[in-house]
Amino acid sequence: MTIVTHGEDDRAILLVHAYVDGELDPANVIAIEQRMAAEPKLAAEQARVLALRRALRERLPQKAAPPGLEARVRRTVGLTAAPPRPTWLALAASVMLAIFASSSGTWYALQPSVGEGTSEAVVAGHLRALMAPQPIDVASSDRHTVKPWFNGRIPQAPRVVDLAQEGFPLLGGRVDVVGRTPVPSLVYGRRQHLISLTAIPDASVATNKSQSARGYNVIAWTADGVTHWAVSDLNPGELQTFARLFRDAPP
Amino acid sequence: MSGEDTRTRFERIVQPHLGDAFALARWITGDRADAEDVVQEACLRAFRAIGGYAGGNTRAWVLTIVRNTAYTWLARNRSAVVTAVDDLAATEHANANLAEASAGGAYAANPESDLIALADAAKLETAIATLPPQFRDTLVLRDIQGLDYREIAAVTDVPVGTVMSRLARARQRLIRAIEAGE
Repeated sequence: MTIVTHGEDDRAILLVHAYVDGELDPANVIAIEQRMAAEPKLAAEQARVLALRRALRERLPQKAAPPGLEARVRRTVGLTAAPPRPTWLALAASVMLAIFASSSGTWYALQPSVGEGTSEAVVAGHLRALMAPQPIDVASSDRHTVKPWFNGRIPQAPRVVDLAQEGFPLLGGRVDVVGRTPVPSLVYGRRQHLISLTAIPDASVATNKSQSARGYNVIAWTADGVTHWAVSDLNPGELQTFARLFRDAPP
Repeated sequence: MSGEDTRTRFERIVQPHLGDAFALARWITGDRADAEDVVQEACLRAFRAIGGYAGGNTRAWVLTIVRNTAYTWLARNRSAVVTAVDDLAATEHANANLAEASAGGAYAANPESDLIALADAAKLETAIATLPPQFRDTLVLRDIQGLDYREIAAVTDVPVGTVMSRLARARQRLIRAIEAGE
């Protein structure tokens, strides 16, 4: 019989909580109010639930979202491309314009050797990849799969380094277009962040140049006549670490 | 659906709930930086799924995605934390029954005014953080974020009856923890 009694008492307790939460229909409200009036145990339960609710409301600090969160989220889904915040469409339009301009005779000015334009283009490639359902065209954590994939797509397959042990797993690769040159981009992960590493045959960029463009951190360095551009929303410190590990990895 | 549509829908449906999204993610992960990563990933999921959003309660829809994202995120990045979820069924049923808990021990001895006097922010925070995850989520959604039972049932994907019993158990545990001065 105890079990039955417990079941009924449990039900009464649940009803007290639901009563405090305003979740009961009128019939149950009347029933539980009568029971609380008659049974001190239930009245005490109601008092405690009310006290707890008050304590939670008055004592617990609000978990306010960090001020930069909205901007970060809008950037992630491609609604904003960070300060000076042109829209994604405007950014895409400017890339299209660059491609158009480069095909009409003035493209020397837009060659990959122009540092500023190149960083814009690699950031645009990174953004476009984030917008796509898959940020990569070949998804593999195996560098022996990723590297050969580039053969036949671009003149020279990039150097691919395995940094999984260091916490930067290889996710895959894709082909970006900078100026009008197709170039290989490797994609690495760091927690939730993606790092695009674009390799451009060009030796004109100062080694280990670090900057931020459209709210993304960009690090560029040159080795063996190839400039590597690392782009990510990862913080500059960890992106530097990534750049150093990649640079110093044995061939 | 055009780009403009998706953009407007995202701003209308998801963006107003970023504060709630962050707060829930923060309670589940226990860390502000992790919560930011979770919200970022959840928003990306929401953005991609928004074409299929059929209407209804926007906050419940967003928080459902945030909660699911938070657990897959924890499983992927903090596998040790998540093991607790595996004991879900056990915790749910192995509990002493509600009426007994209500009547027993220190819990019954303290008038409710003591409860308020004892409950400082740090103690409440710790007590909530150490609740079993399914109890904690239900309590946070109801007593901190103010969702009703039906919304909580939707977000946590359980029947309303389960929401009721989890909520009562979560509150009783919290009250006991505060009164015991843990």
